[in-house]
Amino acid sequence: MTQPETPRVTPTVFASSARVFDLSLGQMLWSRRSVFLGLLLGGPVLLALALRVVSVLYASGFRINGAQAAGASVFGMMIWLLYIRFIVPVLGVFYGTSLIADEVDDKTITYLFTRPIPRRAVLFGKFLAYLVCTVLLVLPSVLLVFFLIVPIGGSSIGEAFPPLLSDLAMLAVGLTAYGAVFALVGTRLTRPLIVGLVFAFGWEPAVLLFPGYLKRLTVAYYLQALVKHEMPQDSTVSVLLQVFREVPSISTSVLALALIVGVTLWLAGRAVEQREFVLDQ
Amino acid sequence: MTTKTRYFVIASLLVMGVGLGTGLVAYYVGLPMGAFQRRGGPEELQFIPRDATVIAFANVQEVMNSELRQKIRRVVPMQENGQREFENQTGINIETDIDRVVASLNPDPDSTNVPGAGMVLARGRFDEVKIEALMRDHGAQVEDYKTKRLIVADLPATAPPVSASGLSVAFLEPGLVAVGSTKLIRRAIDLHQSGDNPQTGLQSVTGNEELMNLVRSLDGGNVWAVGRFDALTSQAHLPQNVSGQLPAITWFSVSGRVNGGIRGMIRAEARDDEAANNLRDVVRGFMALAKMQTGSRPELQAMMQSFELGGTGKTVALSFAVPAEVFDMVPGASRKMPAPKPPVH
Repeated sequence: MTQPETPRVTPTVFASSARVFDLSLGQMLWSRRSVFLGLLLGGPVLLALALRVVSVLYASGFRINGAQAAGASVFGMMIWLLYIRFIVPVLGVFYGTSLIADEVDDKTITYLFTRPIPRRAVLFGKFLAYLVCTVLLVLPSVLLVFFLIVPIGGSSIGEAFPPLLSDLAMLAVGLTAYGAVFALVGTRLTRPLIVGLVFAFGWEPAVLLFPGYLKRLTVAYYLQALVKHEMPQDSTVSVLLQVFREVPSISTSVLALALIVGVTLWLAGRAVEQREFVLDQ
Repeated sequence: MTTKTRYFVIASLLVMGVGLGTGLVAYYVGLPMGAFQRRGGPEELQFIPRDATVIAFANVQEVMNSELRQKIRRVVPMQENGQREFENQTGINIETDIDRVVASLNPDPDSTNVPGAGMVLARGRFDEVKIEALMRDHGAQVEDYKTKRLIVADLPATAPPVSASGLSVAFLEPGLVAVGSTKLIRRAIDLHQSGDNPQTGLQSVTGNEELMNLVRSLDGGNVWAVGRFDALTSQAHLPQNVSGQLPAITWFSVSGRVNGGIRGMIRAEARDDEAANNLRDVVRGFMALAKMQTGSRPELQAMMQSFELGGTGKTVALSFAVPAEVFDMVPGASRKMPAPKPPVH
């Protein structure tokens, strides 16, 4: 007597994404790109360590314009200049654009697409792996910088702690938003890295410099509204940025960023479902 | 997930957990940072009572020998006469005898004086006998207080009220003179003799962590002042319409390094984030206006460009640098000046 064959059930998008996430996290963490990520995030920690050593060894400490800089202010400056303006967009560009492109380049996309899972689950799972990977590296780096820098010049860790929490949340939101935008770029365009770099370091800074509505077409406009630290005036560009800076409300920014993440991820998922990926022979 | 990945995730979460936990503890109960931080500030602070509302410091030698001071001397030569008169009265040559001064203002409940009672601690080289004799000649009385000689000045009725308890001078130790309110001088002597003793209510300002944090942040300047802005304004008994217009500042600090020019930082701690944002907006507006006004004057532009507004949360900070060239604009400042006389000991 033969047993009746159980019908094969296609797993849900969520379950499939979780499985892809499980596979991709290790791949992402121990890839060559992680060396770049380590260098990128080790830099601020080493810089913070150097500043701390200077402040301990020399009574005059670290100085800005001849006055001893308060640790909390230096930390705010580092959040602006290193994390918001550089690290978060760079991670978004390099990881976001490669989510699907890497599989295409390695010609392994076929193996994923032939599994009985929804195609978009591959993208969502990989996006989740990117998010966990970057968040688990960026946030500890920020915390280390915080504890090394803030006590310099007598700033209180207790007082600087609430802004730190909003910094961590803002960075996580930034990584999500940039990752989602560049995931869409990576699934839609053939040269996603170049387009991504032009968007993050050409379009966004340029548009933010001028008054008008164009800045609403950037992630930075909404992300920078969530930053509690005073924007540093380190250059003429920064002064111009400050002059033309319109700050949307926090609720508007959060809503806009959520919309950006939702729409771009949906479009990226749709692109993965519909696009014919041609592998080079 | 491989074991290597699992270990990485655990390590990362551990760093975040420990970091956030430490931050939470620091936020709710404070973190003892004494083991990791210098006490900071000049050693004279240990003779200033804990309830000080304002503390100021000046490294007199550095300021007097600075290029800026030489320029100012060219412009205001009559200051030398004032110095000579002070020297005749007290036997102290400010240029050569004083190394540094620390001044404080403390609340004085027995007095209606606006800033409270004041005291100046000066370190340098003093002829104690000559100073005591000069003050006696001017009617001062000498008392013994805990093995120290307290010279209580006889103030004329027209003199401004220094303190309800009168003005005194005492030599706390060789090379350290305290001048100011008699009550404060007595407390300085108590602190010098017994040190900090919070059980008996005797504690120096070094135990005031809030104020010392500010002092530590200013350690590099050769002139600085920190104080409680709200305490000063509350003592000033200002009319309601005036006090209502003042910014909601709790602490302020001013720090500067005087050499060829002046580099410094003004820092204010507002009552809350909103007050700080308002204050930042006001300062930003003034800075923009000043930059516009100085657009056609290149000698002032360098100074204006140096102005930088900073600070996070409740803190508003404004750093600046006034280059030596700015002082050249004062009529007479560019005149050649003979080299300063060597100090006479």
